Amino acid sequence: MKNYFEINNVTFAASKKNKVDNVSLKIENEGDTICLLGPSGIGKTTILRTIAGLEKIKSGSIILNGKTISSETIHVEPENRNISLSFQDNSLFPHYNVIDNIKFGVDRNKRKTKKIHLDDVIEFLHLENIKFKYPHQISSGEGQRASLARSLLSMPNLLLLDEPLSNIDQNFKEEIQVKLKQILREYKITTIIVTHDSYEAFYLGNKCGIILNSQLKQYDDPYNLHHFPNSIEVVNFLNKGTLIPATVIDEKSLENKDLGLIKGDFIKHYPKGSKVKLLLQPEDLEHDDKSNLKLDVVDRKFRGTNFIYTLKTQSDLLIQVFVHSHHIHQHDIDEKFGIKKPIHIDHIVCFD
Amino acid sequence: MEIELLEKRINIWYLSSLIISIIVAIPVVVISSSFFENTSEYSIILRETFLLDYIFNSLILLIGVLSLTSVIGIGCAYLISFYDFTGANFFKWALILSFAIPAYIYSYSLSAFFENYGTAYSILRGIFGEGNHNLYIPKLDGMLGAIIAISFSIFGYVYVLTRVSFHYQSQNLIDLGKNLGFSKKKTFLKIILPAARPSIVAGLSLVAMETLSDFGSVSFFGVSTLTTGIYNAWIAFDDLTLANRLSFYLLIFIFGLLILENISRQKAQYHSPSKDSLKTKNKIKLYGYKSAFAFIFCFLVFFISFIFPVVQMGYWTYLFPKYLFELNLINLLSNTLILVFFSCSLLIAFGILSNYGNRITKSKFLQILTTFSISGYAMPGIILAVAYITFISYLDENLLQLKNYNIKSLFIGSIFGLILVYFIRFYSLANNGIKAGYLKINYSIDESAYLLGYSKIKTFNKIHLPYLKNSIFLVIILLSIEIVKELPITLIMRPFNFDTFATTAYAYASQDLLEAAAAPAIMLILISSAFILITSKLILKDQQ
Repeated sequence: MKNYFEINNVTFAASKKNKVDNVSLKIENEGDTICLLGPSGIGKTTILRTIAGLEKIKSGSIILNGKTISSETIHVEPENRNISLSFQDNSLFPHYNVIDNIKFGVDRNKRKTKKIHLDDVIEFLHLENIKFKYPHQISSGEGQRASLARSLLSMPNLLLLDEPLSNIDQNFKEEIQVKLKQILREYKITTIIVTHDSYEAFYLGNKCGIILNSQLKQYDDPYNLHHFPNSIEVVNFLNKGTLIPATVIDEKSLENKDLGLIKGDFIKHYPKGSKVKLLLQPEDLEHDDKSNLKLDVVDRKFRGTNFIYTLKTQSDLLIQVFVHSHHIHQHDIDEKFGIKKPIHIDHIVCFD
Repeated sequence: MEIELLEKRINIWYLSSLIISIIVAIPVVVISSSFFENTSEYSIILRETFLLDYIFNSLILLIGVLSLTSVIGIGCAYLISFYDFTGANFFKWALILSFAIPAYIYSYSLSAFFENYGTAYSILRGIFGEGNHNLYIPKLDGMLGAIIAISFSIFGYVYVLTRVSFHYQSQNLIDLGKNLGFSKKKTFLKIILPAARPSIVAGLSLVAMETLSDFGSVSFFGVSTLTTGIYNAWIAFDDLTLANRLSFYLLIFIFGLLILENISRQKAQYHSPSKDSLKTKNKIKLYGYKSAFAFIFCFLVFFISFIFPVVQMGYWTYLFPKYLFELNLINLLSNTLILVFFSCSLLIAFGILSNYGNRITKSKFLQILTTFSISGYAMPGIILAVAYITFISYLDENLLQLKNYNIKSLFIGSIFGLILVYFIRFYSLANNGIKAGYLKINYSIDESAYLLGYSKIKTFNKIHLPYLKNSIFLVIILLSIEIVKELPITLIMRPFNFDTFATTAYAYASQDLLEAAAAPAIMLILISSAFILITSKLILKDQQ
């Protein structure tokens, strides 16, 4: 089957330091959204700029809807790609007010049969009160929302969003995320979003890519990224688990000297007696006050719906555990915290 | 294929920037080549006699003007930026009007007022009756006269740049001084002044360049400087090579100042405008004698720099109306406007072309070419004119004569030649003015437009032009002021019998007919003042 969008073996380089080598990824269906995650300065924005045609490539190819738009010999000018990029710094035209800025987007979608309505976008992005203001009179979050509106209304063949919600107030953020996802799906706007917020990426993206150390380390759907990270670097970047030393006992279990026996299904085969690093995620452990496996509480975070306890093992390993916030026994720092034994994990992810 | 098309489009920008750079490079090449040519015996006489005088006088003039402009420029800027007193809002823009008075016209006013039996004498006679009042009237002529005339006509550079710097200084910085327990004096000396230093140095560098370039004022007061030396070498001794060699010495002087100015501008980046700095400053309200002192200081500067020459020239025009009626006003006005129109059109067109080219190609080579092409402003008009004539004469005699072309009449003594030299002189002003406008447009704005499907030309028309129109208008006004006031280039390059208000005033003054020079001078002041009022209104609008 033909993919809607493809990047084939492209090195994205804004400078010697800021580059991502030999990237290949595909968006199979029109209307899909993918998210790129990575630390600041890694080159995520460069990837978007290159796809938009603002930077050229020296090798590989970028193909949109069956047409090569960038390669060693082809460079379709940005204005002829019908790709819209919403910049992180919003880039509204300073001499036009918000509504006129947004209308620049409308000019472009004249030929489309199914159009997003201006009023709908103004409403869902809460722009009503600022539509006659000039860019210098609004906050950076408001500017970001106006810029997003302009990009959406242009109904491009490919929408690129660079940290689109980074400056937006928390109270609007979740609501906008929901409506943005609805609009993108309803109007089949294929989108690539760059963000450093993994929750945002996991919510909006059909697939997500993790960029680390100048490479696209993993490109997969959010569930797999979280549960089946393919490298220690990805685990560390997502910061949603701890790697603890363990010894493989048999095909269904392994052992850690502080936590004892850990059971589950290995996703990769390891010979008996192998020394591995086991990924232990907060949801893998279960609290049990009656258990004789007691660990010291070193920190407790209240997150509304749950507590996140940080526990210390005898070997000074720090591991995290989720407990729902109705749990009647609240454990203070330095108190003991029971873990249900034996530990059972759905899927055992280990690294050499 | 599309890459090839892009490369073809780039060529226009390279070509235009290259042409501008070559035209502007002519004077520098000509002046440098003068070292390889023979000069007349006058050069030996000059070296043994007046050369040191020229250098010494130039230095004294420079030190005098820099000192006086520092005191009045920084003083006025400080009082107006940080204190609230009677007339402060009026003086804020009124002091800029001094730009309307060229130093040579100020010199005529100074001489007309203080000379024996001049206006001062008439006033004293009117009050005290007949008597030898000349004894009590100071003679502000010679070096002192030149220092005063030049200082009061160009202190505006220091005033404007310092005031802008004070305007953009963060209120937090000033409040911090208070929190640290600094007195007002200590806050000014330790915080405000050091933060504004780059702007002050930039203003003083412009003053220095204008002072060293001055021809009208020093020649009127008979002060022998390097500039008058160049003119004399060319006119009196018909030695173009020596004139160019003297120009070289002067250029070294000026390029030194230019480097200093550039260094200070780089440092100026650290107090670029921020949202915080645009907060209204808490001005200190002055009362009693303090308010009176601030008012008197600013009023005196305004009176001496603007009212005095305007009244003096106006008085003489009123006293000798026949010179006003003798003036062919329509002819002078149309000549001035022709020069303004064609020069501005050419300068703006190339300024836009070069800036737009730089912006869309992002070529480093193009940037270097542009930097090189704006060096014309640093060169005194007289040097440009003499070097340009030398170059055209060389072409005419050595190259093009062979093919029976006579380019001299086309390039020298013609409006075309005059506009070409204006172009070299003022290209920097046009280029930098448009560049300043462009700098306010973030590059991602262009990219947003491309990504919304706008072509480069459409982006220019729809995004750049509406945004730049104020900057372009401002540049046209500034260029017009400069061209209306310009003397040495017009004097040397103009066609036979082609006069402007500036050359007419100079022609009368050089014949000691100051009363006749008053009428064209007052016309020139009126036109320049009108332009300046429009400019200040535009700048205020821009700041808002």
